[in-house]
Amino acid sequence: MADPAAQSSAQPRLQQAQSSGPTGSNSNPGAGSSDPARPGLSQQQWSSQKKAQVRSFPRAKKLEKLGVFSSCKANDACKCNGWKNPNPPTAARMELQQQAASLTETCRSCGHSLAEHVSHLENVSEEEINRLLGMVVDVENLFMSVHKEEDTDTKQVYFYLFKLLRKCILQMGKPVVEGSLGSPPFEKPNIEQGVLNFVQYKFSHLAPKERQTMYELSKMFLLCLNYWKLETPSQFRQRAQKEDAAAYKVDYTRWLCYCHVPQSNDSLPRYETCQVFGRSLLKSIFTVTRRQLLEKFRVEKDKLPPEKRTLILTHFPKFLSMLEEEIYGENSPIWEADFTMPASEGTQLGHQTVLSPVSISGSPHSKGSSASALGVTGLDVASSEPTIGEKRKLPEALTLEDAKRIRVMGDIPMELVNEVMKTITDPAAMLGPETSLLSANAARDETARLEERRGIIEFHVIGNSLSQKSNKKILMWLVGLQNVFSHQLPRMPKEYITRLVFDPKHKTLALIKDGRVIGGICFRMFPTQGFTEIVFCAVTSNEQVKGYGTHLMNHLKEYHIKHGILYFLTYADEYAIGYFKKQGFSKDIKVPKSRYLGYIKDYEGATLMECELNPRIPYTELSHIIKRQKEIIKKLIERKQNQIRKVYPGLTCFKEGVRQIPVESIPGIRETGWKPSAKEKSKELKDPDLLYNMLKNLLAQIKTHPDAWPFMEPVKKSEAPDYYEVIRFPIDLKTMTERLKNRYYVTKKLFIADLQRVITNCREYNPPDSEYCKSANTLEKFFYFKLKEAGLIDK
Amino acid sequence: MQTENKTSPYYRTKLRGLYTTAKADAEAECSILRRALDKIAEIKSLLEERRIAARMAGVYSDNDPPRKTMRRGVLMTLLQQSAMTLPLWIGKPGESPPPLCGAIPASSDYVAKQGDKVAARVKAVDGDEQWILAEVVSYNHSTNKYEVDDIDEEGKERHTLSRRRIIPLPQWEANPETDPEALFSKDQLVLALYPQTTCFYRALIHTPPHRPQDDYSVLFEDTSYADGYSPPLNVAQRYVVACKENKKK
Repeated sequence: MADPAAQSSAQPRLQQAQSSGPTGSNSNPGAGSSDPARPGLSQQQWSSQKKAQVRSFPRAKKLEKLGVFSSCKANDACKCNGWKNPNPPTAARMELQQQAASLTETCRSCGHSLAEHVSHLENVSEEEINRLLGMVVDVENLFMSVHKEEDTDTKQVYFYLFKLLRKCILQMGKPVVEGSLGSPPFEKPNIEQGVLNFVQYKFSHLAPKERQTMYELSKMFLLCLNYWKLETPSQFRQRAQKEDAAAYKVDYTRWLCYCHVPQSNDSLPRYETCQVFGRSLLKSIFTVTRRQLLEKFRVEKDKLPPEKRTLILTHFPKFLSMLEEEIYGENSPIWEADFTMPASEGTQLGHQTVLSPVSISGSPHSKGSSASALGVTGLDVASSEPTIGEKRKLPEALTLEDAKRIRVMGDIPMELVNEVMKTITDPAAMLGPETSLLSANAARDETARLEERRGIIEFHVIGNSLSQKSNKKILMWLVGLQNVFSHQLPRMPKEYITRLVFDPKHKTLALIKDGRVIGGICFRMFPTQGFTEIVFCAVTSNEQVKGYGTHLMNHLKEYHIKHGILYFLTYADEYAIGYFKKQGFSKDIKVPKSRYLGYIKDYEGATLMECELNPRIPYTELSHIIKRQKEIIKKLIERKQNQIRKVYPGLTCFKEGVRQIPVESIPGIRETGWKPSAKEKSKELKDPDLLYNMLKNLLAQIKTHPDAWPFMEPVKKSEAPDYYEVIRFPIDLKTMTERLKNRYYVTKKLFIADLQRVITNCREYNPPDSEYCKSANTLEKFFYFKLKEAGLIDK
Repeated sequence: MQTENKTSPYYRTKLRGLYTTAKADAEAECSILRRALDKIAEIKSLLEERRIAARMAGVYSDNDPPRKTMRRGVLMTLLQQSAMTLPLWIGKPGESPPPLCGAIPASSDYVAKQGDKVAARVKAVDGDEQWILAEVVSYNHSTNKYEVDDIDEEGKERHTLSRRRIIPLPQWEANPETDPEALFSKDQLVLALYPQTTCFYRALIHTPPHRPQDDYSVLFEDTSYADGYSPPLNVAQRYVVACKENKKK
């Protein structure tokens, strides 16, 4: 016979023990389970059937069965620990048909009657008897397992459990596994938590549907793991380190005692593998289990329900590969005890909720369409996510497919774009995109991007961790960061910087050049609050003005998009405001105060600034993409010029006293493809009802805007006594509503003028940095956006 | 070969002839190279003249945009480029390097030309004195004062400064392999342009360059470090000048 270890490594170890051949009456009838997710179920079923059968025995028969495992109580001297039937059943005879032995029948070994063995059960409730009988069935079961098992380690454990249960029947006790195994849970966070964290960590940015898919995969994986039969320590030893093997043996024994054996022997307390074990067990078993799982699914793919087939065959392998990175990668956050779920999505996973609150803050781009467009490639995007602390892979430039996805109506044909793209990327065309590095209009981050591509600089997100040993390089970098920050930010106490940089809740995006830290951004994510606080940001003085700061921030933005956080908040001091403005931060705060108050560190004399991220923008490549787009447009203009090159004589009409002519009447203008703004013409609404409905709709939207509250009603004289002296033409949204009802707004011009007056009045009366003016700024932006959207203005 | 130990007079003459030719060839090559270098210098000076003329006229090209509109990063790259293209002094045998080559100061009556880059000591906004990188606009012989532009804020801030507040920057790089005496030596006090800025600060030479294209490694005076000096930083020869003042603090 082949070596069992070699044999089972070639095929999944499903029910290996049971399927090694029928042995007596205990042979397993359900060896070939068809449900791949529940490989161990059949034996469990069989065992409970057997128990039900035994429990339905008449009392006498039950007593006889228990007598076999009960010590003789005839006198103190009798050491007999189990009644033995003087007429042993022949192998051919089935237990079922056997007559119950009479209580007077004597034990084959000690000669005392069965009654003497079961006397202690006289006043015991039926319930307890049944419990004991359950143990009897399990003991018999284990006896067979001990017998059949070929693996020494496993056999030992079976035997130990066998003895344990026997003792419990004797003493009518409850089985407790004792010894050096410890008691569950053995590690925290457990596998289940880790895997769920993983789903949050990697997929929370996906659309709900895709997220749900990932969630289902994780559930399936956990279920499989709970019923999976682990490889034996001796098999493990063949492929692993000695120290690891010792640890694995302990875990394996725990698993047998607490998870595996109790599955079919329910008198032992049972725990789920995924709930009592953590990352260390998963580390030991993942590679093998993954291979076996995928193999099993491949073999049984025809048995899978068709709707699950794609899920399992296409998504599951990717899912497992990504999970693998987190299991073996250093510093993976999913195993941290304090891993927090990104904003409110933790509870949403099981259900189909539409959007996370983070993205419903009234921003125009966060509508469902963009989210689902992103979801299509979500898996690929996320799978290129590097493990923290490792070299970031270069993000791919926007591909043509991406460009196609977000194409708009009336755009130029893709073929033309492709053709132009070819010429601008073709070095022979002498128009390489990276020619003008030195020119004044080179993008700020161009050099930095190039240096990253050449490997001169690297970006890593690193942080300290208390739950696991940090690697030495990371600790060195953290010290480097602390030095850079304290030199560049002399007004921050060094101790304070140290405390935050080494705080496990803070992370830092580090910029590394020649193995040394030359800059970084220290930040703290608040996934539950939907924002990240930027704590320190610096580049060492002799490496400044090279675009590193911009590139750092762009990397940080992409990192946050991957982790589903779309807002940055920071308190900027006077020197930092300029930098943050260049990075797209504004003093206009959209995150509600309640979300960050008490979370963010407040600095006196500093200005709170916010940056909202757009998950569709590849930030590190943005300036490059825009540059390309400019090249494309330049090329397209050149083409057009070549097509319609013609010189017309100058216009003479002005000399003749004409003051104005329509643009389209200039010769050649129409030939270029120029059209008079069609919108302007068609949107001049003739129908008063149409205009009325449009404005009504618009006004309703404006009134529900969160920043509309100061303008809802006329200003009360009691609140601002001099208001009506300062403001000559008061107006408010309530008055506007009335005017609308009274059909005052016969043209859009009147309506827009009133709206604008709401804002100008506010600015005139209130200081520019007041809460009111901030609201006015936001509201103004909002309604101009809405007006544009409605086609009432074009700008 | 052993047999040829005794050279006949014929071969001796022939050998001498060959040496003479080789020497003449080498000298010819040398002078051609020098002429080529002179040409390059001429071209550069013509370009410089044109640049100054264009600037005076307020015309800017794409390669040399007005500094105001230039992002600082671009300015820094330009400054590095200018340091890299500083010509290397190639002296004739026995000739010692001239003033403004490497560490050799200008003669006391030297007047910097228009367009020359200098270190200029100016009063900063907060009243402190500061050495900045500047470009000479003009020199008034009657008052003995220079007009200079801050390289950073061209046109915006024009400074009128006396001669002793101006240190011309080197116009040749000294070759460490042939003219090591024209370099600052270790631990010498200098003024060096702090990397990625347009200001000169006091620094000690940490290591002089070993090869022509090498930079100095210098330690800037910096009180934020425990020992009072920054870690070694690289500065090109172009931006290292002698520091006249003694240590005051």
